[in-house]
Amino acid sequence: MLARIGLEPGDEEFYAEQLSGILAHIDRLQEVDTDAIPPTAQVVEVANRLREDEPRPGLGQVEALANAPAAVDGSFRVPSIQEEA
Amino acid sequence: MTQLVGSTIGELGKLLRAREVSARELLQAHQERIEEVDGRVKAFLRLTPELAAEQAGRADQALKAGDAGPLTGIPVAVKDVLCVRGVETTAGSQILRGFKPPYTGTAMARLFDQGMVMLGVTNCDEFAMGSSTENSGYFPTHNPWALDRVPGGSSGGSAAAVAAGEAVISLGTDTGGSIRQPAALCGVVGMKPTYGRVSRYGLIAFASSLDQIGPFARSVDDAALTLAAMAGHDPLDATSSDRAGHDVLSSYGGEVKGMRLGVPREYYEVEGIEPGVKAAIERALQVLRAAGAELVDVSLPHTDYGLAAYYIIAPAECSSNLARFDGVRYGMSEEDSANVTEAYSKTRRRGFGTEVRRRIMLGTYALSSGYYDAYYLKAQKVRTLIKGDFDQAFKKCDAIVSATSPTVAFPIGSRTQDPLSMYLCDVLTLGGNLAGLPGISVPCGTSEGLPVGLQVLAPQWGENVALRVARAYETASGLNAEVAPVG
Repeated sequence: MLARIGLEPGDEEFYAEQLSGILAHIDRLQEVDTDAIPPTAQVVEVANRLREDEPRPGLGQVEALANAPAAVDGSFRVPSIQEEA
Repeated sequence: MTQLVGSTIGELGKLLRAREVSARELLQAHQERIEEVDGRVKAFLRLTPELAAEQAGRADQALKAGDAGPLTGIPVAVKDVLCVRGVETTAGSQILRGFKPPYTGTAMARLFDQGMVMLGVTNCDEFAMGSSTENSGYFPTHNPWALDRVPGGSSGGSAAAVAAGEAVISLGTDTGGSIRQPAALCGVVGMKPTYGRVSRYGLIAFASSLDQIGPFARSVDDAALTLAAMAGHDPLDATSSDRAGHDVLSSYGGEVKGMRLGVPREYYEVEGIEPGVKAAIERALQVLRAAGAELVDVSLPHTDYGLAAYYIIAPAECSSNLARFDGVRYGMSEEDSANVTEAYSKTRRRGFGTEVRRRIMLGTYALSSGYYDAYYLKAQKVRTLIKGDFDQAFKKCDAIVSATSPTVAFPIGSRTQDPLSMYLCDVLTLGGNLAGLPGISVPCGTSEGLPVGLQVLAPQWGENVALRVARAYETASGLNAEVAPVG
């Protein structure tokens, strides 16, 4: 649901079979004893880096909207977010 | 006289600096080659003749002024996940059709500053997810050595463009093997740098902790030159390293005499490795031994778990990165929707292909509450063990040598119905991504008449070590990346 990839009739069966095979392979991870092992999220030694908080030019409104499928009054246009009352 | 198509940077650079040929003429020769063969190879999604003419003009001015570097005037092809200002860049996906980036990524900007000339945008698997370029949202690319076979992937268009003589250099990205594997299948040199060596700014993200940009080339020297020009810290990518820089080139020119090369037995017994590939690698090991290298047995005991860990971590990161494609700010949009959530779903349904949707599902599942510990956290712990395997191995050797791909190029359509069989293409390369290592694939002969690649993996920041082994092999074997006739 959160992925918002719009599953349609027939999709579930198609993916269910393939994903079952992939997950069966992935389940072999459970054989590995990792109780004392820390997780790795990234592999190089770079620590958090900060830069000086100095103003610099950013993307202007015209450029930012240039790729928008729909724009109105200098903004991105989207369908309504709230249901009508 | 040196052929303009099929030569190396070194050879072409001499001609350019001697003013025997202009950058414009070199560009035209490659555009004519593309015209001649790309209808069959289909390496390019789109060409950029106006940008190329402008860049070639500037290169000729620099050459005339005696102000040229080694890359000035050299034609380069760019994978469709790398942003160049004003050039349609779609990540091989329909969802980004028409997207023109408002900026140029750092790696490309550095090459253009050095005078390289952009030929066009190369085909790839959608969002770099795949090992055959069949997942492109546009069309498949054909292997220049056998047109009914895949070029590998995901950077298959870039590999095929160099193999077919359409480009001198091309750029790819490697998340699980997407530079090295197609380089092997197309018989060219391909290099994935250490994670953090090259800025990812302007690379459309697939899996941010694994992705790196790297070159395809006709020789190890050409790959090194291109990598050196792209490498180095970039304030726009917080994971690019301060230590990165031109030292990728330092001391790699030596020989392998006295070097210890690790032969991990697990990599020679992986599922599906073809006897012909094994035989070609065994011959390559003999060449390296004859050149003075010492071959030592090493073990990478968690090899069997690499694929499983990778197919949790990469899809998890992809499901997060691809959330931005919602049809609001760029790309395709299904506007005719009752509300915004329906618009998201319809846009993503129509815009994403089968493999991308499969990985988003897998990643979303692995990250969901209740499954997070069993899948994502577990995979991250196994990643620690896999990195530890390499750390242990590198105590006994300077570099690790193996096949790049367990198979030669396979027929188009032969693996698309079975995703797991496609994933197994990367079983020898994805460990390098999980551990952040530099790796290079160099041509090492053929099996069944198709190219085989030798992979050299080195410790982090050891590009010079990998390059040294690869170049020594290239010299000792006398094997070079040849231009496919494209029959």
